[in-house]
Amino acid sequence: MRVVIIGNGVAGMEAALEVRRREPLWDITIISEESDHFFSRTALMWVFSGQLSHQCIEPLERDVYERLSLQRIRARAVGVDVEAKRVLMAGGREPVPFDQLLVACGSKPRPGPWPGSELAGIGNFVTHQDLAWYEAEVHGGPSRGGPPPNADAHLPFSTPDSPYRKRDVAAEARGRRARDVAVIGGGLIGIEAVEVAHAAGLHPRFFIREEWFWPMAIDRAESTWISERMRAHGVQVHLEENVERFEGERSVERIVTDQGSYQADAVVVAIGVVPNTDFLRGEGDMPLTLDRFGGVVVDERLETSVPGIFAAGDCASVRWFNGAVRPEQLWYTARDQGRVAARGLLGDTAQRYARGHWYNSAKLMDIEYTTAGLVNFHVEGERNWFFEEKGPVRSTSRIVLSGDRVVGFNFLGRRWDHAVLIRFIEEHRTLSYVLDHLNEARFDTEFVPPLHIPMEARLRGLSEGPAPSALPQPVAPPAV
Amino acid sequence: MDLQGQNGLDNTFRESWRNRGVVAWVVAGTLISFYTLLYFGGDLGLNDVPALNFDVWAQAIGLPSRWHLYGLLYTVGVVGGGVYYLRKHGNSRYNKYRIAVNVAVQVLLAFTLPLVMALFGQGSYYFSYLWPLAWYDFHPGHLASIPAAVAVWTLGGALVLAPLMAYRYGKRWYCSWVCGCGGLANTFGDPWRHLTATSTKSWKFEKVAVHTVMFIAIGSTFALFLDAFAGDRLPAFHRIVDGGQWWSVKRLYGYVVGSILAGVIGTGLYPLLGPRVWCRNFCPMAALLGLQQKLGRFQITVKPDMCISCGNCTTYCEMGIDVRSYAQSNESFTRSACVGCGMCAHVCPRGVLRLENLTRKRNQGDKARQGLPVVNL
Repeated sequence: MRVVIIGNGVAGMEAALEVRRREPLWDITIISEESDHFFSRTALMWVFSGQLSHQCIEPLERDVYERLSLQRIRARAVGVDVEAKRVLMAGGREPVPFDQLLVACGSKPRPGPWPGSELAGIGNFVTHQDLAWYEAEVHGGPSRGGPPPNADAHLPFSTPDSPYRKRDVAAEARGRRARDVAVIGGGLIGIEAVEVAHAAGLHPRFFIREEWFWPMAIDRAESTWISERMRAHGVQVHLEENVERFEGERSVERIVTDQGSYQADAVVVAIGVVPNTDFLRGEGDMPLTLDRFGGVVVDERLETSVPGIFAAGDCASVRWFNGAVRPEQLWYTARDQGRVAARGLLGDTAQRYARGHWYNSAKLMDIEYTTAGLVNFHVEGERNWFFEEKGPVRSTSRIVLSGDRVVGFNFLGRRWDHAVLIRFIEEHRTLSYVLDHLNEARFDTEFVPPLHIPMEARLRGLSEGPAPSALPQPVAPPAV
Repeated sequence: MDLQGQNGLDNTFRESWRNRGVVAWVVAGTLISFYTLLYFGGDLGLNDVPALNFDVWAQAIGLPSRWHLYGLLYTVGVVGGGVYYLRKHGNSRYNKYRIAVNVAVQVLLAFTLPLVMALFGQGSYYFSYLWPLAWYDFHPGHLASIPAAVAVWTLGGALVLAPLMAYRYGKRWYCSWVCGCGGLANTFGDPWRHLTATSTKSWKFEKVAVHTVMFIAIGSTFALFLDAFAGDRLPAFHRIVDGGQWWSVKRLYGYVVGSILAGVIGTGLYPLLGPRVWCRNFCPMAALLGLQQKLGRFQITVKPDMCISCGNCTTYCEMGIDVRSYAQSNESFTRSACVGCGMCAHVCPRGVLRLENLTRKRNQGDKARQGLPVVNL
């Protein structure tokens, strides 16, 4: 049996490990254009700052492919020939035949719609090659940890539209590293691009279209604190400002918005990601069905419209916890989907992908963030309880109720165990029960004083109606 | 400042002196030369050169001996490194309290007290070092020569207090809070903590090496006791154990373990192999406490399905534990090597890890977690 996996990310690798665990003799081939080794995409920011090296962000030792005899092809897949059962490759490479296929090709950055986007010095912060470009603009090159091994091995087998192509570095043309960095897009990748530029000693501009940072996930009061922290660090936060165009000769020099014109040496466009599935549209009559988001349509076993071909991770449109069907760009769901798809590849017909409750965590400019359940969803009869702690620990706590039931949590500034929070939700607990037992979910490090909620805050914190939110049709955050 | 979690980002891999650059090699060379002279200057016949004789240096600044000079330099390293560490990671209360205790123990118990006692013509006692790290402590001749109260501390500290504390709080109570070796590693040595090897190979070496030294330390202590009580009747045995030759057990242990492994290699290689080479691979006390920790209540708790496999924990583990492998497989764990420095939890960007001393209450929390739906598989 010959299994081919397109994508060396968490979904693809997890599937490869699961298939290998059960079938020691099957042929497993992983096609990846981006890198030789499976790495944690969510960790690119630390490689940029120099806190980690490329090897540090690889969750498995480098010999894993040899040890488990997983074959690798470092080239761009440009299509799937379903009839002949083979993956078509760029750069004149022989097509790769398969008996079963897993498409786990992930996301690519959403391109900016603005004139001037093709100028050098404008890029994204999603792929290895994006990282190399951004590092070259700001730091002049990689850290002493070095570039990833065989960084350019894919170039002869790529195409000009690839998200893994090499970028023009404006700093090289200019003969000077970037000083004025601008980041567009108020989400997680945006704040990461801002944070690393700040760590490099710069004062980046952060252009956010919405009224406040990350309205999909946090409300105005919560976000104010994060913006404050960004400004305290010297980040120039521009809220409710729309980019109109970029200006410059060959490299970007200015960024023009509806409110002004600013000098810019390097611009990171971080306005989300879309499924990296264009190559599936390429060859005439498309065998796999894609939806309007560009996600591969799959059933509950993650099998596509073609039997024997599965899809998992960012590129697949899966059923979300709220019933919506669309791609979900998250680390832990991609990992789960990789495992479920592997069961499908192994011929298990019973295994279904079932999304559990929503939860996530992140760190926003040093501020810990934990969420669980339905927050910013405008659920029926929603009320929000909010408490701001300003003692030795600064934190905010928001608990969302539907009627008398607690349905969601949003926390900043402290660490919480989402597993216990989800238990509260599943047990249909009331607000007063949850407040009595909240410290069971505590996950602060030792010696951090527990959250103390004064009696009057317990009573006064509850407000009728939903928290103010910018989005009429809220969706959960496209988080890493 | 927030009281937990890393503030700001580190630029570790962008600094040459932290990544085996020229400065790192120079520092390592200096440290190795220093330790070689300190321990073996006499044996190598270098003490006749005043510039290479640390006793001469010590007397020049009014200290009784080279060991007090060494103590002074050590204390400067711990204090200076402590300031470096606290400026970087002192926002976290755990880090702050831990390093403060480390520095206080070094300044008061490991330096000032022995110095004052020496100045008053008393014997010097290092109360913060316990057997088997202070292997010499259990020599029958030494035990017989010290005041009863000190002997009670020496025996009770090593045989009762240390295991009980390790059972209750993990070996961190000693290795990361009290011990001088750990104190220097976590202060002066902190800039190089990411250099600790994390490969499977390094782990295999560690397991064999550290337990070998542990058995040698315990076995040789027994041998010394046997020699003290029956040495007269066993002349050949006495010659091997304590005959005075350089190859006798008593002197060889001091040379190999105390001087070469703990000093020359253990500290000298900080800038090249990370600050816990000695603690991880050779310290008999760490090995013994590790076994007690394994049976005890300390664990690193992992939040389920929250890890993004970024690798900060593994990279900044000074003991070379692949923390990420546990975090990404949702496995709370207790590793005997773990010294509980807390850095994995500190650098984790998602608050996945927590150092815990399990109690009944916490166990109930864990039970409650068992009812959780495990997504899919």
